[in-house]
Amino acid sequence: MLWQQLANGATMGMIYALITLGLTMVYGVLRILHISHAGIFALGGYLAVAASRVSPNLAFVTAAAMLGCGVVGVLMQRWLYRPLLAESKVVSLIASIGMFTLMEDLFRLVAGPYVLPLPVRAPFGLDQFETSHMTGNQLVVLIASAALLIAAWFIIHRTRLGLAWRATEQDFETASAFGVNIDRAVGTNFLLGSAIAGAAGALVGFYYNSVYPTMGSVPAYKAMAIAVLGGLGNVWGTVVASLILGLVETFLVISPAGLILPRDSIAFVALILVLLFRPHGLFGRR
Amino acid sequence: MGLYQATVAITVGIFMMLAMGLNIITGYTGQVSLGHAAFFGIGAYTSALLSVKAGMSFWLALPIAAAVTAAIGAILGAISTRLHDDSLAITTIGINFVVVSVFQYTQFFGGALGVGGIEYPSVLGRTLTKPEYLIVVVVCVLLGIWFDRRLVRSWLGLALRAVGQNEEAAESLGVPSAKFKISAFAIGTAYAGVAGSLYAHFMTFISARDFGFPTSISIISMAVFGGLGTLRGAILGSLALGLAPEIFRPLVNYRNLMYGALLLLMMRFQPRGLIGDGSLIWEWLRSIATRRRKAQCAPGGEHDGWQS
Amino acid sequence: MRNPFRWLLIAFTGLVVCSLAVSVISADPIKIGLHAPLTGFAAADGLSVRQSVELAVKQINEAGGINGRPIQLVTYDDRADAKEAVAVAAKLIEQDKVAAVVGGSYSAPMRAVAPIYQQARLPMVAGFAVHPDITRAGDFVFRVGMLGPIEGAAAGEVVGKLLKAKTACQMTMDNDFGRALAEGFRARAAVLGIKIVWETLYPLGEMDFTPYLARLRQLNPDVVFTSGYYNEAAQFCKQAKEMGLKSQILGEEGFDSPKFIEIAGKAAENVIIVTNLNRDDARPAARAFIDGYRKLYKMEPDMVGASNYDAFLVIADALRRAKSTDAKVIRDAIASTRNFDGATGTISGFNALGECTKPIQAQIVKDGQFRYYGEVSDLAIITPPDK
Repeated sequence: MLWQQLANGATMGMIYALITLGLTMVYGVLRILHISHAGIFALGGYLAVAASRVSPNLAFVTAAAMLGCGVVGVLMQRWLYRPLLAESKVVSLIASIGMFTLMEDLFRLVAGPYVLPLPVRAPFGLDQFETSHMTGNQLVVLIASAALLIAAWFIIHRTRLGLAWRATEQDFETASAFGVNIDRAVGTNFLLGSAIAGAAGALVGFYYNSVYPTMGSVPAYKAMAIAVLGGLGNVWGTVVASLILGLVETFLVISPAGLILPRDSIAFVALILVLLFRPHGLFGRR
Repeated sequence: MGLYQATVAITVGIFMMLAMGLNIITGYTGQVSLGHAAFFGIGAYTSALLSVKAGMSFWLALPIAAAVTAAIGAILGAISTRLHDDSLAITTIGINFVVVSVFQYTQFFGGALGVGGIEYPSVLGRTLTKPEYLIVVVVCVLLGIWFDRRLVRSWLGLALRAVGQNEEAAESLGVPSAKFKISAFAIGTAYAGVAGSLYAHFMTFISARDFGFPTSISIISMAVFGGLGTLRGAILGSLALGLAPEIFRPLVNYRNLMYGALLLLMMRFQPRGLIGDGSLIWEWLRSIATRRRKAQCAPGGEHDGWQS
Repeated sequence: MRNPFRWLLIAFTGLVVCSLAVSVISADPIKIGLHAPLTGFAAADGLSVRQSVELAVKQINEAGGINGRPIQLVTYDDRADAKEAVAVAAKLIEQDKVAAVVGGSYSAPMRAVAPIYQQARLPMVAGFAVHPDITRAGDFVFRVGMLGPIEGAAAGEVVGKLLKAKTACQMTMDNDFGRALAEGFRARAAVLGIKIVWETLYPLGEMDFTPYLARLRQLNPDVVFTSGYYNEAAQFCKQAKEMGLKSQILGEEGFDSPKFIEIAGKAAENVIIVTNLNRDDARPAARAFIDGYRKLYKMEPDMVGASNYDAFLVIADALRRAKSTDAKVIRDAIASTRNFDGATGTISGFNALGECTKPIQAQIVKDGQFRYYGEVSDLAIITPPDK
């Protein structure tokens, strides 16, 4: 049973990591609490459903979701956040909340309030792979998210684009002085972050065979908690925090402690405890 | 005044108290609190339990609930001194969740069944009607406004604003920001406690879900929509966003959409809120006031140095 | 950027004016109110409720109405939120002046408005809200749905008598309904000698059951009694199949939705549930709902819809007998309902509290459809408390 539980926890952890990665990337550069990130996550699920009508291949629908969400993410940044940079941070936050509410209701109006299934198959029939320690679906999610996270790491730490982001994170003016096109850096940052959220939406939709309008509600705040836990803006911190949370939740819910503390609160309790001792999160630098 | 109008007005009044209190914490003192509904809940449950389990009358339960909420708010304020900006905002979400979980899962607080049978307030043995209850709510709101105006003009108010504008500068001038953050939380959450008590005795039944994160979002949206940092903003914002669901009711299916759109568009095009400092409407009102002053000053005179 | 805002301001004002201008014009019809969670997290159930009650209204009006007068349904969205429901109640009572109300929303909002309707002396029939205090608000409040402890006890019956199982585990959803179900199940299991090997709570909205299933797989009981709404139900069954759980899964009315089968896919096969709606029911009242719903909406009906369909028909039936729209007369007519044939079964009557007695169905999923499996009609089990 232990191996199965580890697989359970790791899978949840990877899912959390995918969802939170985009959020922490955006925060790193713009210092905005981008709640509508969860809306983009849900959009990924819906785009995957639409794409599944064309081809029931998981890789295909995930790519479609990533493309669509990347574009929407950039549009959102251009139209909503860029003009609000000069204002107080609360304004961006409320604007983001308004956008998220809008998105949720649009999903409901366009696609209906009911849960939609996502009938796709993973490549190489991986989702049929059965062992007593892990289900096929879990294997697919683990592989896909690992691939995406490694790709993200590569882009952030081994390319000039990533360098531009990290420079922008430090200081807008200095980066600009060194020739970084801030506007493009922020735009591409949103693009990648949103694309990854879209992939998360597709994968989660596949894993649970469920896409529904309010699927972003829990990730909206949980991802925030994880992002802060890992240290806002720190990509590695996010991944580590996500995995820890996934495992902790899994082992805690079936223990006696699980009867007192509901699963979704665990993230916040952990957050409050950690922040009491390390106000910048586990790995925060600022 | 009919039942429906009184009902809606009471609800708006309660949220006005909440928005005003949050404005003191987030608007004046700059401490972003996304979990204000937790204190709304603490006030409500305190008042409810005092009424249901101890048979206390509403008139006594309300001030006690406010005091209890303020005390707990002060503790949160103490925690907040260690955190900054976004970490604080997210932690307040966490506090909201934890508080709601406590209400939801502890039998003492009624658990999933909530607390029901809360006494409707009565005066001299006669139960108040809804319009009469509205008068009670209005009185509380007016007291809240009066207190806010006194606060703003006091030394405490100045200190709070200093911390809100620029904490480092304030500290360098000798303002102990930690102490004042705690005061801000205590005062702002006291408002929430009063609102909670009013809510509990109005609904006669409360459950944990009434005080969750979505409610916190509603409250801060009202304050920001109206114009964060201003009392008039909190009042107008709660009026507008409180009445909007009822006004849009005939649009049935599109209500939520309208609400989200309203919020989004307001923030996008008028980030200072409906009537906050720097907003279209407020600047226009001020320009009228200045023009009047100019006209009074010198009919046909040369006072042209004044900019509105 | 000021110009857009001016236009938005004008548009907004226009919208407000339009909304205020949209008023309901009526003279002759009988108005009945409906609370439903049309938007928000419960929107799916809200849609079921609205469609089902509208189906009933359509069927009645097409057959000539009630004593010659058509029914006009006044529906308001309460978002499954208590304070919205309170505003809706005030509106229905004072502005729309309805003759009776169908309470088609969740427990918390219904619990909040029950005292309001009682005080206003307006009859309200709740469809599927389960909070026990709803009917305790007074004699103007009735309920058509099943109470948690009774349904749980029926589940126990199914385990003991129909499945003849000896060991069981309980996965309880952590809300008032789930806990009530668990209580009823536990009590009945004790009487029948079924051993509950493990039981645990899980939070509402949970999607990941793998931690629990790992434990359940290890314990391997005969039956796992799981409570949940269709989302959780589908996830539980799907993941159970993926993880190779051998135990028989027994669910409850929350599972009763075509969505459960759609999402769980093959994993839904052979799942048994205790519920209110028998798809194979031959009675005309049941067929009118099931076939009528399928025909009008091109989708499968569910228990949520069926319960509220019946709640409405109870009111309609009372109106027919009362021959008046006086609230007290209607209330008395509802209270004196006898052997009412509804989609969810034959209601023998309402007790002093306003609760009803009717047999509980057990359905099994076969070939992607709910089919008849059994029935629990032992009065000792299905009779609700009367105070």
